[in-house]
Amino acid sequence: MNALEFQDVSFSYPGGHEVLRDISFSIKKGEKVAIVGLNGSGKSTLLLHTNGLLIADSGTVSVNGKVIDRKNVEECRKSVGMVFQNADDQLFMPTVEADVAFGPRNMGLPEEEIKCRVEKALRQTGCSELKDRAPFHLSGGQKKMASIATVLAMEPSILVFDEPTSGLDFAAEAQFIGIVDRLPHTILMSTHDMDLAHRLCTRAILMDRGSIAYDGPIDTLPYPLISTL
Amino acid sequence: MQQTRLEKAITILNARQDKPEVASHIGDIDARALLIVTVVYLVAMLSVPLQRTDAIIWFAVYPIISAPLAHIPYERLFRNSLYVLPLLFFIGIFNPIYDHTPSFIVFGITVSTGWISFISILIRGLLATQALLLLIHVAGFNEMCESLRRLGFPGVIVTQLLMVYRYLEVLLQEALTMQRARLARSYGRSSFRASMWGAFVGQLLLRTIERSHRINMAMKARCFHGSLSTSPPSRWDTAATVYCLIWIPVILTLRFLDITLLLLSLLQ
Repeated sequence: MNALEFQDVSFSYPGGHEVLRDISFSIKKGEKVAIVGLNGSGKSTLLLHTNGLLIADSGTVSVNGKVIDRKNVEECRKSVGMVFQNADDQLFMPTVEADVAFGPRNMGLPEEEIKCRVEKALRQTGCSELKDRAPFHLSGGQKKMASIATVLAMEPSILVFDEPTSGLDFAAEAQFIGIVDRLPHTILMSTHDMDLAHRLCTRAILMDRGSIAYDGPIDTLPYPLISTL
Repeated sequence: MQQTRLEKAITILNARQDKPEVASHIGDIDARALLIVTVVYLVAMLSVPLQRTDAIIWFAVYPIISAPLAHIPYERLFRNSLYVLPLLFFIGIFNPIYDHTPSFIVFGITVSTGWISFISILIRGLLATQALLLLIHVAGFNEMCESLRRLGFPGVIVTQLLMVYRYLEVLLQEALTMQRARLARSYGRSSFRASMWGAFVGQLLLRTIERSHRINMAMKARCFHGSLSTSPPSRWDTAATVYCLIWIPVILTLRFLDITLLLLSLLQ
């Protein structure tokens, strides 16, 4: 069974502009895949389909074998953890700890379980000492790690990252790679950073104006193709 | 490093979401007890007839006594409550304009009932604001909302309150970003030209709507389904009962007994 599967997915934003056109691919459990492509090629829109934040106009998106629809979207969101590009959008509670607990609390878990998950997620991301701090006062790197912790606390089987290292310095980027490399999750990340993609992923999907231009091993990703897009 | 006013406002807004870390005499009391006393206080005070300014003044006892117990100087609480003064002024100013009924004469000047009700509105407004500020300072905004929910207040309204509070933070953060962008290109000019304010406010509104949309998506991605959960609730204990048993009778006495008259008769 595939962890994630897109089948003939097309999507247009209100106003008629078609952003995704007949997208089909599948990702196996534990696979780490990079979505690359130019700005406006549809990478972020594609990611928003993975946990039902956007629903395809046509075609289907399946998570762990279940097709996402409006009825089971909540269930799918427990399986797909999404880390947004801008950590400021992801962190909105008064403290880092409250923010990390937000997802598990919405899942209706008992307080003891929430506490355990929060501690574990903070430890995994090296944010234990930040737990009482207000997200507003954190550095960019700390915010990014905290936003990863908010998702890890939900213990999803699939992790989706939208431009995870944009705005991070080399140290924060190295920390991010160190954390993500150890995770056993299925990972899908959109990025412009080819070095990052090579270090974390084995497969790449190249997006071009809403369609897939390449899907295969990252080592054979045709760089000239990117430059001519 | 010196913080700007917007940065300070964000820090304060953040701090007020949860209980203060520094323990106070009434800080550990269940927020429901604080909420109940505050509601009784507001209802009792606001139900005093408009002309009874002397009766209203006695209600200042509650914030004056409670503020030091919460480790807040009353002077600061009073100063903070003054922010609502322009609004109160606007609400009350029509009373002296339209109501000229003579009430009493002081040094040859006839004071109308309109002026008395105007003063009464100002005092009520300030005291009500002080009571609410005190509640939020002691309990924290989140816990106050959680208490409302546990006391049977509709969940939708509680979530709206929590969202509005968060929207304020988004508003301030976006305003801060815009202010920084402006300062970077203002070359020493301290304020906008008057004509730029409209564009600034419009942009601010658009930016906050867009940002709120993104935050909403991030919340939905973490299984948010309309009910904003806060920290685990505290337990009702003896201190909460004692707090209610002390304050509610005092407030009801202030409401139903004419303290001014009682004191005058005692003095005579």
